[in-house]
Amino acid sequence: MKPIIQAEKIIKKYRMGTEVVSVLNSIDLNIYPGEILAILGTSGSGKTTFLNLAAGLERPTKGDIIIDGHNLNKISEKKMAVFRRRYIGFVFQLYNLVPSLTALENAVLPLIFEGVPARERDKKGRELLKEMGLGNRMRHKPSELSGGQRQRVSIARAMINNPRIIFADEPTGNLDSKTTVEILNLLTSTVRASGQTLMMVTHDIKVADYGDRIVEMVDGNIFNDEPNGSSGLPPEEGKEKKS
Amino acid sequence: MRKQDIVIMANKNLWRRKARTILTCLGVVIGTASIVVMLSIGIGLKETMERDMARWGSLNIIRIYPGMQYDREGSPSGEAKRLNDETVAELKVISGVVAVSPAFEVNGEARLGRKQGWLNIIGMDLNTLEDMEFSVEHGRLPSPGESFTIVAGSQVINQFWDERAARSRGGFDYEHEQQDPAELLNQRITVSVNNYSNPQNIKKYNFTVVGILDDKNMDRSWQVYGSLDDIKRIRDFMMQATSGGESGSPSQMPFKEGPMVSSRRDPRQEDTSNDYNYILVRTKDVAQTKKVSSELRERGYNAYSMADSLEGIEKTSRTIQAVLGGIGGITLFVAALGITNTMVMSIYERTREIGIIKVIGASFADVRAIFLMEAALIGFMGGILGLGLSYLASYVVNTIAGGYIQQGMMGGPGGSISVIPLWLALGAVAFAIFIGIASGYYPANRAIKLSPIVAIRNE
Repeated sequence: MKPIIQAEKIIKKYRMGTEVVSVLNSIDLNIYPGEILAILGTSGSGKTTFLNLAAGLERPTKGDIIIDGHNLNKISEKKMAVFRRRYIGFVFQLYNLVPSLTALENAVLPLIFEGVPARERDKKGRELLKEMGLGNRMRHKPSELSGGQRQRVSIARAMINNPRIIFADEPTGNLDSKTTVEILNLLTSTVRASGQTLMMVTHDIKVADYGDRIVEMVDGNIFNDEPNGSSGLPPEEGKEKKS
Repeated sequence: MRKQDIVIMANKNLWRRKARTILTCLGVVIGTASIVVMLSIGIGLKETMERDMARWGSLNIIRIYPGMQYDREGSPSGEAKRLNDETVAELKVISGVVAVSPAFEVNGEARLGRKQGWLNIIGMDLNTLEDMEFSVEHGRLPSPGESFTIVAGSQVINQFWDERAARSRGGFDYEHEQQDPAELLNQRITVSVNNYSNPQNIKKYNFTVVGILDDKNMDRSWQVYGSLDDIKRIRDFMMQATSGGESGSPSQMPFKEGPMVSSRRDPRQEDTSNDYNYILVRTKDVAQTKKVSSELRERGYNAYSMADSLEGIEKTSRTIQAVLGGIGGITLFVAALGITNTMVMSIYERTREIGIIKVIGASFADVRAIFLMEAALIGFMGGILGLGLSYLASYVVNTIAGGYIQQGMMGGPGGSISVIPLWLALGAVAFAIFIGIASGYYPANRAIKLSPIVAIRNE
């Protein structure tokens, strides 16, 4: 099967004052369509950097990232926004909702930039928020929502334009353990239901366990890459192997 | 991104910081109002000056006198141009010319019933009267083909006085009261003229006043106008040489008035006795007047129009407007800095948010559009409110200061000190929007350059 994300010899270096810090040392990784991939690592392991590179938010110092046949190095900064809008949805640790907009407006934001007419996008947004269990919270501002609710809005926003890939950076980093389970179930089940690919970055082995495959990163290198199953903590809803 | 979404989003963003937006707007309000009010005063001054000038003579009419055209140093340039039918034909085909009328002018003692006076009669091509901006207050204009019918200026009635009544009141009274111009309507005026060479030879002509001119044009208020042929006939009689004598020779003139005639005519030239006293040329508008008038001078004609003096006035008023507008412009410039400042602050506050929308798919164009729209909205609101303030200020200036000035101006027509034409109103709002966009340009570019990574970093 053709991978949807191909990372080839990714090197990323940062200049910190006069020092050059190497964050990623030649990472090779293929991610396949429909896969739920967890990248596990401690802080400073380079996992978030790798996610940013894969999502085209940053450029690698060296190496290529190819998403669905498109080499990100060849997409200009200007066109990258459109590319992200079409291919990628994001879920962040801090939700990153726009505080001045309601839950519904936040959820449909990508459609606004896509130029979808208001009626159409609101209809879509309402349906999606209902699925996320936020049917009665649509007109609320983020400040009036709980952490879990905010993350649901954020998931709805990531899903609204049916992207092929969802990137999640510590999606439960700010949530209590009960909500964490709820959110992860919601995220993985939605992704699976629509056949999307999910790349999730976490430092928490329990969160990583929701993945079909766990890639462990240490100091900018892939330390371990194996299908999930060896773990003693299977996710509640049971696992289907990737097709 | 759809246009209405850009507007909605920008508007929403603006009102997140109400006080700041209002204060920034206020800067634009004051800036716009100061420009508009300053310019409106400049425009008002110009209009008042033009109106005053138009009362002294039409701005669309050029008058051509016989003789040389003199240059600035006072030396004659070119040869003396004659004013005859050929000239009239030549003038008629100049582009921008609407009508041409030659004119003869005679003076004579006049009688109106018991009253007597002195009359200045001008013969014109009656077909052109309307084109020459003659308009009557009472009665009508003399029609072509009529003989010895005249239209009188509004002040002509005041030229006549009743000698007997004056004498009975004890001497000559110059300060006779103003009389109603309409009294002259349908009256008969008898004009007596004498031959230049033989003052004993007196002829009387009877004219019927069929109309009274309105007093828009003060140039015409002391004259009466009749047909060219009638006046030419009177003039011919006046210039007729006494029998046997050689025409125009001073030695043959029995009285001192004689040389008046001969000095007017150059004896070396062909007979010029049929030449017109002057020719009036009507052009389409002031701009054409200036053009045609200078063209005529180039051709060697002794042409003059009120519009020529207008140039100086326009230059002055342009200077005044530039100075006043400049003062307003500085205010608006400060307001523009205010917009930029507000937008930069707003971008600092919204760094994260800008990052978010970039991550989830806002293109450079979208981000720029949102910020430029916010700045444009500040400009637009400030412009509209500023215009409202300008109308208010203009009204106040016109009612308060206008009253004083009118008192000083000897009953001139109601002139406004501050005039806001439509183009100024629309231009001011457009300019305010432009200022907003221009001020928003730098902040918008900063927003574009923000890295989405920095914006969404989990701090």
